[in-house]
Amino acid sequence: MADVGGLLVLGIILVILIPFLLLALIGISFAIVYPVMLLWAVLFSGKKLDKQIANTASREASLRESLGRDPLTTIDGGYRSGITSCGVVWAGVVFGPSHWHLLIGLYNNLIGGSIDIFQKVLSAGRAEAMQRLRESAVTNGWDDVINVRIDTSDMGSKASKNSVKAVEIFAYGTGVKYD
Amino acid sequence: MNIYYSCGRNMEQMVQGILVVNTETIPGMMITETLGVVSGSTVRAKNVMRDLTQGLRNIVGGELVKYTELLEESRQEAIGRMVADAMSREATAIVNVRFATSAITASAAELFAYGTAVKAE
Repeated sequence: MADVGGLLVLGIILVILIPFLLLALIGISFAIVYPVMLLWAVLFSGKKLDKQIANTASREASLRESLGRDPLTTIDGGYRSGITSCGVVWAGVVFGPSHWHLLIGLYNNLIGGSIDIFQKVLSAGRAEAMQRLRESAVTNGWDDVINVRIDTSDMGSKASKNSVKAVEIFAYGTGVKYD
Repeated sequence: MNIYYSCGRNMEQMVQGILVVNTETIPGMMITETLGVVSGSTVRAKNVMRDLTQGLRNIVGGELVKYTELLEESRQEAIGRMVADAMSREATAIVNVRFATSAITASAAELFAYGTAVKAE
C-alpha cells in the first residue's frame, strides 16, 4: 500500500513539473541557438531586407504593367457607373526588424533624429501588404479596390523583453467589378 | 444622383447571403433601413512551438509567415461572427466595415470587426 501511495505522489509531482521542464528545455535550446542566429542576422539581414524590397517592387511593377494602372484607390464614392458586383477584400502581413536592426536602432536612438532603419523595415512591410491586397483583388476577380485603409498594430507587448518585435500591417478595401 | 446596375454578389458572399463592404454606400444599391452596429471578435493564441519558431525567425527579421496565417484565419472567423450577427437581424448587407486589432497579452491577439447592418435593395 505504501508503494502505491508513493508512486501516486511521484506521478502527481511529475505531472506538475512537466510544463516547467519543457519551458526550461525551450529556454536552454534558445540560449544555445540565439548567438548563432544573431551572427547570421548581422551578416545577412540587411541583404534579406533589400531582397524583400526588390521582390515586392518587381511584383508591383509587373502587375501595374499588366493592368495598365494601379487598382487601389482611397476614395469612397465617385464610382464609375456600371458596377455589377462588390465585396470586401483584405490582406495582412506580420513584419519585423531583425535583432541586428534593433541594435542599430538603439544606437540611433542615443543620437536622436530619424531612425532610417526602422522606416525602411516598416515601409517594406507596408509595400508588401499593399501588393498582397492588389494580388488578392486580382485573384478574386475585382477590377478595382476603392476606399483602401491601412492599419498597423503592434504584435509584441512592451511588458516582456523576450517577446516578438513585429508589427501587423493590414490593408483592406472594397473590391468592385465593372461590366 | 447616379444610376447603377444592381449590385451582384460573388460566390462566397452568396453562400453567406450578406454583402460586406467598407464603403459608406453600396455602389448600385439603395440603403432603405439601418439595423444598428454589428460586430464580431475572436481572441487567438499562438501555440508554444509556433512562438519558439517565430521567435527564432524574428532574430533574422522579415515576415513571420505563421503569424500572418494565424491572423488571416482569425480575421475570417471574426468576419463570420459579424455576418452571423447581421443575419440574426435579417440584414442584407453590412456597410462601413472597420477592423481593429489589439494584443491582450504577448501571446494572444484580439481581432475585431464591426460595421453597420443595413437593408439594401
